[in-house]
Amino acid sequence: MAKRDAIPEVETYIDHQAGVIREVQPPAPRSKKAAERRANRAIYTALVIISVVWLAPFLFLVLQSFRSYLTEDGGMVSYLVPKAFSLDNYRFLFEDGRYLRWYTNTLTIALFVSVLQTGMVLSVSYVLSRMRFRGRRFIMNMILVLGMFPGFLTLIALYFLLKQFGLTQEGAIPGLILIYVASSGMGYYISKGFFDTIPKSLDESARIDGATRFYVFRRIIMPLSKPIVIYTILMGFMAPWGDYVFASYVAFGKSDSYNVAVGLYRWVNTLDFQGYFTRFCAGGVLVAIPITILFFLLQRYYVEGVTGGAVKG
Amino acid sequence: MASVTLEHVKKIYDNKVVAVQDFNLEIKDKEFVVFVGPSGCGKSTTLRMIAGLEDISEGILKIGDRVVNDVEPKDRDIAMVFQNYALYPHISVYENLAFSLRIRKIPQEEVHRRVVQAAHILGIEAYLDRKPRALSGGQRQRAAIGRAIVREPQVFLMDEPLSNLDAKLRNQMRAEIILLRRRLDTTFVYVTHDQTEAMTLGDRIVIMKDGFIQQVGSPQEVFEKPQNLFVAGFIGSPQMNVFDAELEEDAGEYTVVLPGFRLRLEGERAQLLRKRCIASQAVKLGVRPEHAQALFEARDNSLKGSIAVNEMMGSELHLHILREGEQNVILRVPTVDLSPAQRAILEAGQTIHFSFQSKVVQLFDPQTEQSLLF
Repeated sequence: MAKRDAIPEVETYIDHQAGVIREVQPPAPRSKKAAERRANRAIYTALVIISVVWLAPFLFLVLQSFRSYLTEDGGMVSYLVPKAFSLDNYRFLFEDGRYLRWYTNTLTIALFVSVLQTGMVLSVSYVLSRMRFRGRRFIMNMILVLGMFPGFLTLIALYFLLKQFGLTQEGAIPGLILIYVASSGMGYYISKGFFDTIPKSLDESARIDGATRFYVFRRIIMPLSKPIVIYTILMGFMAPWGDYVFASYVAFGKSDSYNVAVGLYRWVNTLDFQGYFTRFCAGGVLVAIPITILFFLLQRYYVEGVTGGAVKG
Repeated sequence: MASVTLEHVKKIYDNKVVAVQDFNLEIKDKEFVVFVGPSGCGKSTTLRMIAGLEDISEGILKIGDRVVNDVEPKDRDIAMVFQNYALYPHISVYENLAFSLRIRKIPQEEVHRRVVQAAHILGIEAYLDRKPRALSGGQRQRAAIGRAIVREPQVFLMDEPLSNLDAKLRNQMRAEIILLRRRLDTTFVYVTHDQTEAMTLGDRIVIMKDGFIQQVGSPQEVFEKPQNLFVAGFIGSPQMNVFDAELEEDAGEYTVVLPGFRLRLEGERAQLLRKRCIASQAVKLGVRPEHAQALFEARDNSLKGSIAVNEMMGSELHLHILREGEQNVILRVPTVDLSPAQRAILEAGQTIHFSFQSKVVQLFDPQTEQSLLF
């Protein structure tokens, strides 16, 4: 009885920052730690399984790409690891002009689109985030609703429009850039959300300091928005990089205007499926390389918060 | 340096909410004017209209002799300090201060001179290389003020600049703003919801409520001659006590009557009432806590109540007195001259008598809430 009523001795310390006396928290009991470890183990096991499932096709692709079409077999086989590793497929890709042409096409389109689209998306987002004008809400809702229709619905109409301007077949590359960029402002949602988190008083302060709207955008908002700028660039690059549907229709039948996806698919589809399969795989690996490098270089910006210190908080 | 004139300025938002109603004010050159009022009273909106951050729906705004209704903020030659500091987080304090000067293409040496000078005035020279996030609240506030100083603007606008600081730092910065003002000697417009800041800083105070100006006057004026019940309650701390009372007029003599207490009005107050030909009527009687005296013995012709709470503030006691079990009256009693016996009377639960003199009372019409003494 007496024991239960006794006040337990508690160690205290003075928290100078808050100006209060706090109790020293006793270390968590051991069993809790063990439970935590068990939970972690389960989580990691699940993650490993998921990543194996995700990586398996890519591993398959890489392994196939090293099987020579000359000495072994260029088509589908029943084993995974090639009998001898060879670079014949890659050599073929570089020596055969078609692949390089497609690659250049894809790169050209992707670079143009990522630059133009980033400009478009960020401008639209900034305007929708910062300016108040009649019809703003209507425009935002409209874009949201329109965005719910798949882009392919417009495919046929777009094809005929582009044809009028000579932007199909031979002119497919500028035509595709135009298509990708034209509707890109509709993807304003994420960057607008980001801009909304930057205090408006920064804009106001800069405008009083003598800056124009554009100066504020360029010198205040952009430096603070690095993560979202990079995200936008990446998205702008990746969409045309991997596009098949639009590219195959707009470049229809004109091999010089194909992008990599269309070209490679035609190899395995219309030419000789058994003969070109390993070369198709090698082409796929090369396509993945720039994107992978980009991601590794830029991934830290995804999570980096930069507004610390801007306002009290 | 310039005057700021607002003529019939109105702000109506798109959703038809009227934030500021018919605002008329002339802020003289080098004057320090404080807009004060509860949140949503339109004080910040008015300031933002002066800054050019909000459109003016109706009326005319002049800075100096120039009508600036449609002039961009950057061309108004004003500087503004924001409540949340609004420092640019990605550049150093030095660059923050230099920002506006660089836009104006001022030569490098001049930029440097002004930045260093402003930093010197504010005591932030040691932090010029830091990013804003590496500064404490007080230092950020100084940097924000510094950014305004380097501009050497015609008008300084400050939007609750001290609200984010803790109490101690706020007192210190308040004193520094007074010094700064003396040093810069230019026009200031300052917005706050804190009546202490308003009283201590302003040459003139503009008290606002629901978009209307309630009263404009020097701190002394608004304290001693509140124009209406709202101003009387808003200015002064603790709040003014208000009683429901009767005003009796008899052959030019005025008496305020409360249950158990009659007070004949004398001097200036009686004269004012006579001049305005006020007849007998019900009134709201206002007395500031510091103007009512605690009586330490029962006395005829006094008010009484029981002490509910006794707050010891050090140099004075704040007594919360329940009168007839209902009304909370606050008295401020200086502690320096209290004897132990008197102190014992001022404990919670005791009954206490109190009264006040004719020269401290305020009288308001219960319907219009306007002062009868104005």
